[in-house]
Amino acid sequence: MNPIRAALASSDVLITVGSGGVGKTTVAAAIALRASMEGQGSLVCTIDPARRLANSLGLQALGNAEMEISKETFAEAGLAPRASMRAMMLDMKRTWDELIERRAPPDKREKILNNRFYQSLSSALAGSQEYVAMEKLWELRTQRDYPLIVLDTPPTAHALDFLDAPNRILDFLDNDASKWLLTPALAAGKFGLKLFNLGGSYVAKTIARFTGTETLQQLADFMLNISGMNEGFKERAHQTRALLEAETTSFVLVTGPMPERLDEAIYFHTLLQQNKMRVAAIVVNRVHTPVADSLWEEVARLPPSAQPKFDQTLKENDHLARQDARGIAKLREACGSTPLVLVPRFDLDVHDLKGLYETSHWLWGDRRLEVAAPGQ
Amino acid sequence: MLRSTLHHVNVTFAVVEELSDKRLLVVTGKGGVGKSTLAAALALQSAREGLRTLVCEVNAKERISLLLGRPEVGPEVTAIDENLWAVNVRPQEAMREYALMMLKFESIYSAVFENRVVRYFLRFIPSLQELVLLGKILFHLKEKRPDGRWRFDRIIIDAPATGHAITFFSVPQVIVDTVPPGAMATDATWMRDLLIDPKTTAVVLVSLPEELPVNETIELHAALLSKVKMQSSLVVLNGFIPLRFDASDAPESEGLKEIARHHTARANLSVASLERLKTLGLRVVTVPRLFVPEFSRQAVEQVAAYFGGKK
Repeated sequence: MNPIRAALASSDVLITVGSGGVGKTTVAAAIALRASMEGQGSLVCTIDPARRLANSLGLQALGNAEMEISKETFAEAGLAPRASMRAMMLDMKRTWDELIERRAPPDKREKILNNRFYQSLSSALAGSQEYVAMEKLWELRTQRDYPLIVLDTPPTAHALDFLDAPNRILDFLDNDASKWLLTPALAAGKFGLKLFNLGGSYVAKTIARFTGTETLQQLADFMLNISGMNEGFKERAHQTRALLEAETTSFVLVTGPMPERLDEAIYFHTLLQQNKMRVAAIVVNRVHTPVADSLWEEVARLPPSAQPKFDQTLKENDHLARQDARGIAKLREACGSTPLVLVPRFDLDVHDLKGLYETSHWLWGDRRLEVAAPGQ
Repeated sequence: MLRSTLHHVNVTFAVVEELSDKRLLVVTGKGGVGKSTLAAALALQSAREGLRTLVCEVNAKERISLLLGRPEVGPEVTAIDENLWAVNVRPQEAMREYALMMLKFESIYSAVFENRVVRYFLRFIPSLQELVLLGKILFHLKEKRPDGRWRFDRIIIDAPATGHAITFFSVPQVIVDTVPPGAMATDATWMRDLLIDPKTTAVVLVSLPEELPVNETIELHAALLSKVKMQSSLVVLNGFIPLRFDASDAPESEGLKEIARHHTARANLSVASLERLKTLGLRVVTVPRLFVPEFSRQAVEQVAAYFGGKK
């Protein structure tokens, strides 16, 4: 059975991962679309900061809320799905604020929301995006009833953070540094933590030279204020980690076939397996198809004046097809038992529902791609 | 101050005067568009034209040294060619260098920053990691040799991809807004001013002749301007496919017709992409699609030639 269909038969969460520019979002959207066509209602959610998903779905914009793609939009593309399809894009800041509003003790909410560290942490800054995505995935998975959630992740370096996000938040809450900062203040029952009362420590003074005194004070306040939320965060982090490892969660690794970009895909594949995540398939996107032998003969029969252009074009196509074939062979060797699903390069970019549906034929195994002989 | 000069060289990058007198070149764009190849090519060309050039990757899986046919350089600035140095800037080493610069004494650094508790703590100061990465790179712009000349005449950053580039280059501004006065805020102000100074810095946006990458380039240009106040200088459209077939190419063979039609579709997309990018009001340099066995030194040399050639 086609590995993606097999994965959907046993999973209700599917996560696409891979480096930038390989068509990850397109693959995520195409899988969600196809699932809906086949009667499995779906939601596709992207946390990629670039606004690609709306683009692929022919929607003007996507917000933090799930938007249903209308019957009319489908009809325009000549499609009639048997179940609904929704799409959303994660709004970091809003998801963080909702989290604080839901979880923080009432007397701390305002203090947290107004803290400068919280504001930068929640609006753009590194690392927190991945955590929020996990939080959202958990919310969607537990509070809604989607037969299938397809989650698109940011490019590789950050997707690694993504896997690590639940652990990191645990580290944050559970490490010696927070205790070192918080314990004296908590013990004293004080709100405004005076960092430099911690024995006027040499360590604290030196860090302050680096960051400025007030910075430490603000950070300490922030940590103090969220400390009441520790248990909740901790529980959630364990739950999301469990969700990633669950039987019903599958990963699809997306890559291009270019040999020099495959190291990243192979590295990521290893990492997912080490982390006990199940990789249902590796999608090799935008594969150049081999040049049929008969075409060379047909070029030879052209009038001499017409030959060079066609000859050149066939040579270029052949070059690209063989290059891709070498990449695919390398991937096959390195990733052993994980099945590969090949999707051809199309003339035009996939940027509408029709194109997504077309793409899904390859993902679903309705159509299969031949690979060139690698050669040189 | 940082500008003062590249006067010992007449001009570099004959075809793109937008870059020729800039000390800092920031190369960015969507993932997979060929940023590293372009950064490597610009670095190679710059070094060949006599500028002492440093090319920096930012906490990435290292590619530039390999593209230039050299072993990985890691986090130490390493000479890889005549006039050419490379480094892959990583947070831990950058943090150490930055702290040492501010604290002056190794012993203090070891006592404080190698303390496990402190290290944890530093991880959670928002953006400190990005600040030290960027800080290390920009610091090299200030370094001088004993004779008073710059240690590096030009620095080229192979910057993170779109969304992360905005985050990365916003960090100095975010620090200025977030962190109360102190050494960190002072440094951040200096960095921000440098990044937005069009006399020192040029941003090169890299794109591909396809719909989504072009959309992203246009959005990136706008976001850099509105969120970071960085004005882009040049667009490089990689993988350009010029039109080859026309109506007179009408073979009887259906297979060959398909070949011509396919080629023309891609070429039309290249032309349409070029037109859309031109609406940014910046010069767009096209680099043709290369048919090389792999992206190695040979490919980089070919791309470099587009920037050093005659007008």
